[in-house]
Amino acid sequence: MYLKHLSLTNFRTFTRLDLKIPQREIVLVGKNAQGKTSVLEAIYFLAAFTSFQTNTDRQMVNFYEAKKNTLGISRLVAEYKRGKSDHRIEVRLILEPMGVNGQRLRKEILLDGVKKQAGDVIGHFNAVIFVPQMSAIMDGSPDERRRYINLAISQSNPAYARALSDYQQALTQRNALLKALSENGGDRNQLSVWDEAIARLGAQIILWRIEAIQQIEKLASRVHHDLTHESETLRLAYEPAYDPLPKPSGQLGLRLDTPIDRTGLDVKEIQKGFSEKLIELRSEEIARGVTTIGPHRDELRFLANGVDLGEYGSRGQIKTTLLSLKLAEVEWLKERTGEWPVILLDEVMAELDLERRADLLKYVGKSEQVLFTTTDLNLFPREFSDSSEVWDVHDGTISLKNK
Amino acid sequence: MNLPDSIQSLINALERMPGIGPKSASRLAFYLLRAPDDLSLSLALALTELKTKTAFCQECFNITDAGRDRCDVCESRKRDGAVVCIVEESLDVLALERTGAFNGKYHVLQGVLNPIEGIGPDDLKIKQLVARVAKGEIKEVILATNPSMEGDATALYLQGQLKPYGVHVTRLARGLPMGGDLEYADQNTLQRALSGRQDM
Ligand SMILES: Nc1ncnc2c1ncn2[C@@H]1O[C@H](COP(=O)(O)OP(=O)(O)OP(=O)(O)O)[C@@H](O)[C@H]1O
Ligand SMILES: [Mg+2]
Ligand SMILES: [Zn+2]
Repeated sequence: MYLKHLSLTNFRTFTRLDLKIPQREIVLVGKNAQGKTSVLEAIYFLAAFTSFQTNTDRQMVNFYEAKKNTLGISRLVAEYKRGKSDHRIEVRLILEPMGVNGQRLRKEILLDGVKKQAGDVIGHFNAVIFVPQMSAIMDGSPDERRRYINLAISQSNPAYARALSDYQQALTQRNALLKALSENGGDRNQLSVWDEAIARLGAQIILWRIEAIQQIEKLASRVHHDLTHESETLRLAYEPAYDPLPKPSGQLGLRLDTPIDRTGLDVKEIQKGFSEKLIELRSEEIARGVTTIGPHRDELRFLANGVDLGEYGSRGQIKTTLLSLKLAEVEWLKERTGEWPVILLDEVMAELDLERRADLLKYVGKSEQVLFTTTDLNLFPREFSDSSEVWDVHDGTISLKNK
Repeated sequence: MNLPDSIQSLINALERMPGIGPKSASRLAFYLLRAPDDLSLSLALALTELKTKTAFCQECFNITDAGRDRCDVCESRKRDGAVVCIVEESLDVLALERTGAFNGKYHVLQGVLNPIEGIGPDDLKIKQLVARVAKGEIKEVILATNPSMEGDATALYLQGQLKPYGVHVTRLARGLPMGGDLEYADQNTLQRALSGRQDM
């Protein structure tokens, strides 16, 4: 799929932007703080309905618009082609005044003009984004890795997004009940209805994570081999907090890089085991007032030649691995959905040596649309910048560059 | 500037209603201030009578007129007392009655299990339901709580509570809305319709 038109109103530094976008490689060139990354962020937001970099969506609304006392509205509109048909996604971020000095952000999402829930629109327009600060996926907290894997799977499988939000809701209810039981006592059997929801939804999430991580690992290790000129073998080790295949006792000293094969598990079996484990842990969980196992505590590790990059990765190693992961995600989405996602690469050339720059261009060349940002067009090979569309980004405006 | 107490207390009261935020509360309060007297007077009267002139049916806990022990449905001899439909609120009874398709009786839980809001089994009319079933006349219980996380959990809980009595327990089928085009149904509804499919 590819974007045909992007329009932004009061989104970050852009008070108004209207862009016709060609189906090819595009390079956004500009000095620092001109709005390059913001364009990629906007496009990604139209795919994921959350930003890659902030958990407070309100930061995306233009400062001046947000300071007004009346409604502040930020609007993002993408017109895109998927297969043979044209579609339009619109997101409105509405800052409403609330209480004395407060503001509340409301999100509205429209697909082809019809208001929808995010869970019903995710997966319609897909994008993969690479931003250097995303190395937090490798060396940040487990939250970052769960967030990454959740966003990736949701785009290929919208049912995953719904299962995840239902799971979150059941988890909140269950934790509230655990807390009440630990503080005031009461009938413990009330837990069983929330156990059922947690185990049923959790099992589905675990199974989808197993499948996705295995498929992405396969693609990522191939890309990583190429990018490191065969010097590194990349593995993705999924470690579910409720593990349907716990390490057999006596093998606790199992090396981290020993692959554990979790294929062939059945969702009903996972659910059953998960339920049993919850009952086993019941007293402990009541005492602690919180749910201690399940997908909200899962971990994912990246291993290069058996070494955990989160703990021991060098800066360069982490950058390359992140790129391998992102390129794998692109191919994975294409495999799963039949459509190329739009590829968004922020300052990626500056991160790579000459050889890897060429590798990267070769990789993304297969897809339908790529948007690069850079402060320096010279980082791209001459033939490449000559044949692609180059835009000047300057203080919240964008114009075609005279080449 | 501080608002006069009489307006502020109306705003505060309105704000406690579900679905009404501070802004709508102020708007409503000022609207009433400007509107002709008879609007606020009839509203005041209706509000006072709301509690004094209504009561809960002591059998099914649906609303009924004050001074009555049982509601019309519970008293009717034409209704089948062997089938009881369990709903969250009185409004759900109204919706089901409008279909004219149900000839059994009801039981209104007056809410659903919701630990976040501190609502447990004892806050709902669950004990009263179990007592009704224990009498032995009820043969089938239809669980018609909403298809939400909390509605589902409540249904599951009731199923567990009713198990010892050997009564036939069913859950309302969740399907596509009538006149709804498959193509335009949201994916959630479609998924539910698929998983709740029935033999033909
Ligand atoms: N909500 C907002 N309202 C107005 N301006 C904002 C808002 N959020 C960020 N900005 C400003 O937008 C500008 C552009 O940010 P952006 O990160 O897109 O720039 P960039 O071109 O990618 O810069 P760099 O080359 O340094 O990465 C910054 O000056 C930033 O202060
Ligand atoms: Mg930037
Ligand atoms: Zn009654």
